[in-house]
Amino acid sequence: MQLEHQFTVSVPRDQAWDVLMNVEQIAPCMPGATLDSVDGDEFAGRVKVKVGPIQVTYAGKAHFEVADKEAGRAVISASGRESRGSGTVKATIHTQLHDQGDSTQVDVVTDLDITGRPAQFGRGVMVEVGNKILGQFTNCLEAQIHAGQTAAAAPTEAAPGEAAAEGGAPKLAAVPPPRPSAEAIDLLETAGAPVLKRVLPLVGALLAIFLVWRLVRRRSH
Amino acid sequence: MIPAGFDYVRPSSVEDAVAALAGGGEDAKVLGGGQSFLPLLRLRMAYPSLLVDVGRIGQMRGIRDDGDALVIGAMTTHHQVLTDPLVREHAGLLAAATATVADPAVRHRGTFGGSLAHADPAGDLPAVALAYGVQLVVAGPGGRRTIDAADFFVDYLQSSMAHDEVLVEVRVPKLGAGWGFHYEKFQRTAQAWALVGVAALVKRSNGTIEEARVGLTNMGSTPVRAAAAEAALAGANATAEAVAAAAARAAEGTNPSSDLHAAADYREHLARVLTRRAVGAAAGI
Repeated sequence: MQLEHQFTVSVPRDQAWDVLMNVEQIAPCMPGATLDSVDGDEFAGRVKVKVGPIQVTYAGKAHFEVADKEAGRAVISASGRESRGSGTVKATIHTQLHDQGDSTQVDVVTDLDITGRPAQFGRGVMVEVGNKILGQFTNCLEAQIHAGQTAAAAPTEAAPGEAAAEGGAPKLAAVPPPRPSAEAIDLLETAGAPVLKRVLPLVGALLAIFLVWRLVRRRSH
Repeated sequence: MIPAGFDYVRPSSVEDAVAALAGGGEDAKVLGGGQSFLPLLRLRMAYPSLLVDVGRIGQMRGIRDDGDALVIGAMTTHHQVLTDPLVREHAGLLAAATATVADPAVRHRGTFGGSLAHADPAGDLPAVALAYGVQLVVAGPGGRRTIDAADFFVDYLQSSMAHDEVLVEVRVPKLGAGWGFHYEKFQRTAQAWALVGVAALVKRSNGTIEEARVGLTNMGSTPVRAAAAEAALAGANATAEAVAAAAARAAEGTNPSSDLHAAADYREHLARVLTRRAVGAAAGI
């Protein structure tokens, strides 16, 4: 199935891209998510989601199929599995940044494939909770952007995404241009992770809600 | 499946239950009738570290008349609620709606308080509680406090109770004379959650509808009141046309979800049709 989300951050597109590329900065904005490892352009992490009495933990991996800074487009492939169950999820997340002058609109379209029990159920609450989590994330992101704007402004211009100009699987740990500050170095080391870190929890949250829905509707039989 | 492991206590007083919850931390959970929670455990969708079974607390059961309100203990079963003469006399909508909950087996174990605390917008009783404007009395480490129904249902499966609070009793206000009621529930199979449900309370005097309260089941992530329809009904003539015109606004301000059973626009349509039926029946039109 396909899910669509959209949010706006109040910085120009290039800056938005760069901020989103700064994993360390935005990771705490996604509730319940942990990044376990970074291996080239592949990332592994866990997401713990709680909805009332329901708790689900997902462990998964993702990597960038496309990260095109010029076009403002990133595509992530993610797959995960419940830590304490047999459900699996596969997602392809298409992110498009739109230049709106001083702000950037971010469109996220997710193709979601779920196997196991959750697959029996439709979207339902999934969209609602996904929106709620995304709302929480973007508010936090905005706050981070405004707080970090002065610090992050100088080094973020020549961002790592440039290497993605060649198609296929881009090498996101690109050749680093000279960087004056520690923060910029962080940016390079964690290059490529940001959108993943942002969407993997969303995917996990959406999956969790699937399970919720499944439970609720199952009782109808 | 069988549930994952958990510790279990069965306190015999509200204070002991609160202490157990507080001591158990974030993953301690109250067990009432278990009709909503046990399936979650068995499907391994919840992993409480400690279950605090409040089934033995006599103080939480029973229904009594408290002057301007009925006080219903949180652990009173659905069966007890719908057969109680006090409820039938003073809170007829509650008895009528409870009769539509699940099936007799569930109604003999499931509880009124548990149903409200579970905060499922697709459950019948949260919408009824919202229509009545009940007050929920919860006990926590800091003592007891009262929460209005309008502030109780926060989100899908989430109430405004803290994790170390337990719902003790519910005060259902007596509305007095002149109030009619009706619960209209739409479902495809005999024992099912409502696709959409409408709980209507209408005060009628002669040819005018003085006031109406309309609670909607399964029209969002929490139960909601059909505020626009209520405003349109206040002071309206008690005629089918006026009711239909007001019911046409029933879905305003709601945010129903689409799922395998119904799309959002169909739910909005159902809300309008069922509100017209429920309000009409409650107003005696």
